[in-house]
Amino acid sequence: MRSLILRMFLATASGAWLLLCAGPAGAQPAQATGCETCHRNEASESLSAPARDFALADVHRDRGFTCVNCHGGDPNATDKAAAKAPATGFRGKPSGQAVIAVCSNCHSDAALMRKYAPRQRVDQAAEYATSVHGQQLAKGDTKVATCVSCHGAHGVRLVSDAQSPVYPLNVATTCTKCHGDAEHMKGYTLNGGPLPTDQGEKYAKSVHHAAMVERSDLSAPTCNDCHGNHGAAPPGVDAIANVCGTCHTVFATKFALSTHAAIFERGCVECHNNHDILEPTDAMVGTDEKALCSTCHSEGDNGHKAAMAMRAGIEKLKAAISHSEEQVAAVENAGIEMGDEALTVREAANHLTVARTELHAFDPAAVQAVLDEGLGLTTKVDEAAAAAQSELSFRRTGLAISLAAILLVVVALQLKIRTLKPHA
Amino acid sequence: MTQQLIAWLDERLDLTAIRHFVEEKSVPVHRHSVWYYMGGITLFLVGVQVATGILLLLYYRPSAGEAYESVKFIVSQVEFGWLIRNLHSWSANLLIFMAFVHLFSTLFLRSYRRPRELTWVTGVLLLFIMMGFGFSGYLLPWNELAFFATKVGTGIAGAVPFVGDFLVRFLRGGDEVTGATLTRFYGLHVAILPAMTTVVLGMHLLFIQRQGMSVPPSVEAREKAGAKTPQIPFFPHYVLHDVMWWYVALAVLAALALFLPWELGTKADAFAPVPAGIRPEWYFLAMFQVLKLLPAHILGIEGEVLGVLGFGLAALVLLFLPFLDRGAAEGRSSKLVTIGGILALAYMVVFTIYGYLAA
Repeated sequence: MRSLILRMFLATASGAWLLLCAGPAGAQPAQATGCETCHRNEASESLSAPARDFALADVHRDRGFTCVNCHGGDPNATDKAAAKAPATGFRGKPSGQAVIAVCSNCHSDAALMRKYAPRQRVDQAAEYATSVHGQQLAKGDTKVATCVSCHGAHGVRLVSDAQSPVYPLNVATTCTKCHGDAEHMKGYTLNGGPLPTDQGEKYAKSVHHAAMVERSDLSAPTCNDCHGNHGAAPPGVDAIANVCGTCHTVFATKFALSTHAAIFERGCVECHNNHDILEPTDAMVGTDEKALCSTCHSEGDNGHKAAMAMRAGIEKLKAAISHSEEQVAAVENAGIEMGDEALTVREAANHLTVARTELHAFDPAAVQAVLDEGLGLTTKVDEAAAAAQSELSFRRTGLAISLAAILLVVVALQLKIRTLKPHA
Repeated sequence: MTQQLIAWLDERLDLTAIRHFVEEKSVPVHRHSVWYYMGGITLFLVGVQVATGILLLLYYRPSAGEAYESVKFIVSQVEFGWLIRNLHSWSANLLIFMAFVHLFSTLFLRSYRRPRELTWVTGVLLLFIMMGFGFSGYLLPWNELAFFATKVGTGIAGAVPFVGDFLVRFLRGGDEVTGATLTRFYGLHVAILPAMTTVVLGMHLLFIQRQGMSVPPSVEAREKAGAKTPQIPFFPHYVLHDVMWWYVALAVLAALALFLPWELGTKADAFAPVPAGIRPEWYFLAMFQVLKLLPAHILGIEGEVLGVLGFGLAALVLLFLPFLDRGAAEGRSSKLVTIGGILALAYMVVFTIYGYLAA
């Protein structure tokens, strides 16, 4: 008898397991199941909403998956108790580690994923285990985010779908749902103090946010670009330059060569902040009150001298470019073609950009070399503009002489006409 | 020396007819005589266009890849190239302006009345040809503004019923404005239109010389009552006056060329977004503005089609005005023509200014 019960249990359990793992036969949208039929009519919002959301737009439903694939149960049973009988493998609403297990059941299965999204990675669960979220969950903290916290449970959309909570434009909002909630984050610490909850507000002021939201540049970084997504964690102090250098390659390379690389504990963040990264200005360099250099350097030290020299050089080239632009515009307005010179001014402006980049190595000689090349270009433009002004003077003198000659002829003609007999 | 040369030519060619013409031809003098010089100034500007156009031809290259660069080369590298290009551009605009002044003065003075109907018809044809010169020449520097304005302008031809699509392809040399359109417009600008101008202008001048200057109906009525209208000899009196006006036009042209140089703009790029403020040359602006304002459908007909048909009808009325206003020959000045002329003038001024402000 025991053997029979054991065999029946194994048969049922293996059947349920196969149902959970096998996935749908084809990639056609799944039809409404018995689960949905009942749940839609549930009075409780928490019980009806999943059925409704799953029916609207869901990437899993579109590929033929049904409630059973995550929740188990028997969708064909007409009786609620039979549908959720233990023998059906019914698992109810997964939470905590169970969510990771249910999702990774398919998403960590390379063979299965190849059928639906061959390019998609299958290491999300492994990455998650290394994240702060994953580590906290392993310790039994169920407040932390799991897969469904970010992706949703029912009505899951592709990451590339603009309505997905993990679409680049929506990531910051999704993260700050928890990280901007002081009550939710109570008890979590960073460097011995409470974990800040103002990252979202700070990020909203940053150049990255402006690029992402105002200019719709989806390549601009949002939370997960620096912290990782499934393996989300604050970048280590020694990794900050690498994180920023992922995009700002040249700056990172220059900074790595600088004396500051070994001194700045927080790398780039020392000058540019982390979440509230504002538009960098030339005023950040120098020795006046607004300059960041003066925070550490004082008059007489080498850093102070270097900062003063680099700032002075940059201001000089800026003034030279501005002067050249005015000269070119004045001559162009007078009708002399200065297209080549306008291009040269832009080239000088490129040198200014390169000098600002070079500045991250904090080597005044290297910065000055670039600035000198830019100044050479503006000098050439100014010479061409001066020559054009001479040409303009020549043209105006020529016109004055021509007009005088024409006027003379008109007067002479008028005088001649007066000498003629008035009428025939 | 001059006398010897004339005698030498006279001996071989018999210049009696020309001598007789020069000695006998006279021009009436009255309070509206000043309008006679408008045609002369227009003719002078045609001469400036021909001369500067030929000089521009020496360097201009009519292809999408080289047109813009060649004009840039003309204005920046060629000695006095800037002056020639600016004169050509300004003279073109002044020419059309003076042609309109000439047309309206002729209209209000009823100079088109019998027997000068053909002089009017050739004059109106010349105005259309000059506008064709303007439309085709606008594209030749191949800059952004001209490119998109030509795209819009040629697209309007598509609204002509039945033959619209053919007209668009014929004008563009394809479905879109491309290098083929530029080459086509170049051929039109430097060969076809000049040939047409030579013939029609020759006829216009011949008719004027054959029929003499028209006098306004009021002066003609006085003549009929026995009054004698004073005359001045065509040569040298009238010619010297004409030349004096030409010099004034030249001075205005030179000043405009230097102080208001014609912009070259940026090179046309078919893939660039359409820049703001696309508009045709000022003499098409009033028509363009009306087409823009017309609703999509009027009485079930496409607004643009109706607009194009309306302008076509207006052009026909203008062309055949002498045959429609039969009473003018009998000295009866039609109020309809006067009011129509004033309304047409007011419409052109108001809608051109509106077009500039709207752009």
